[in-house]
Amino acid sequence: MEKQFNPFSLDGKVIVISGAASGIGRQCAINCSKMGARLILLDLNEAGLAETMTMVEHPEEHFTAAVNLTDYERVPEVIKEAVAKVGRITGLLNCAGISTTLPLNVAKLEVLDKFFHVNVYTAYFLTQAVTKIGNFSKEGGSIVFFSSAAGQYGETCKSIYGMTKGALYAGAKSLACELARKNIRVNSISPGVIVTPINQNLPHIADPEQRKQTEALHLLGLGNPNDIANACIYLLSDASRWVTGSNLVVDGGYTTR
Amino acid sequence: MTINKFIEKFAEAVEVEDASTLSANTEFRNLEEWSSLAYLSVIALMDEEFDVQIEMEDFKKLKTIQEVFDACTKE
Repeated sequence: MEKQFNPFSLDGKVIVISGAASGIGRQCAINCSKMGARLILLDLNEAGLAETMTMVEHPEEHFTAAVNLTDYERVPEVIKEAVAKVGRITGLLNCAGISTTLPLNVAKLEVLDKFFHVNVYTAYFLTQAVTKIGNFSKEGGSIVFFSSAAGQYGETCKSIYGMTKGALYAGAKSLACELARKNIRVNSISPGVIVTPINQNLPHIADPEQRKQTEALHLLGLGNPNDIANACIYLLSDASRWVTGSNLVVDGGYTTR
Repeated sequence: MTINKFIEKFAEAVEVEDASTLSANTEFRNLEEWSSLAYLSVIALMDEEFDVQIEMEDFKKLKTIQEVFDACTKE
């Protein structure tokens, strides 16, 4: 029987996912495993990673490591160990990140440092480790940075988060230029507000009145992790083989108006 | 830094997968991996590891990995 047409298949692909212990990262792990990928799952939260492993298909095929991604010396070692066990990498989802709603007048240097480390530097150096010679597939592949609608559009008290996400949006474009010669595609994805564990306690979701306002900004209502995970499957699959340097907006219409 | 260690770092910068294929006498411009990006990586290697900033005209005169190493380690 002829094999079913599926341009979004991830069969034979090896995908690294950071922030895989919860939220969007976890959903990406689940969906990618269902599409046939072998996974390298990274997160600081060991218990959360273990829980993710109970949700993915074929858990025996995947590799997990509880690692602090800001331990920039340890990360390349972990990637090397993972490649030895699972094979050369064909894709990376830089999902790990944190969010805040903080006014300018109370912001401190330490807070900015923390946000740039966790949201920007970790993604940059993980990408560096993954694309080091010997780690990435010689056939090339796909890297996705998690920007945000807040990386290009303003919201009160979202300056710190927005700056980090704008940095990822910009960085992805230059990396697309730099890595094209290796047939590595680099794109960003810009979600609108997704209800996840990292933001469900923030005022714009936790407070009923503010949540109503947030929902009203999105033509299709708030998103869920599946909306983003499925968009990532497209960017990781051969269906997007001619797509690089782009920013995929998945925001329920938030930035349309 | 020894020349052997330098060759390892050079291989990493230029993205030569097997550093054992290189020697001090390797003429690096003939490498398949040599490119404008590789050039920038070697310049960065010289700067970061040896605090040596080399002009492009001077770099153009270097032919072998040994010559790059010498440019890094000369007083």
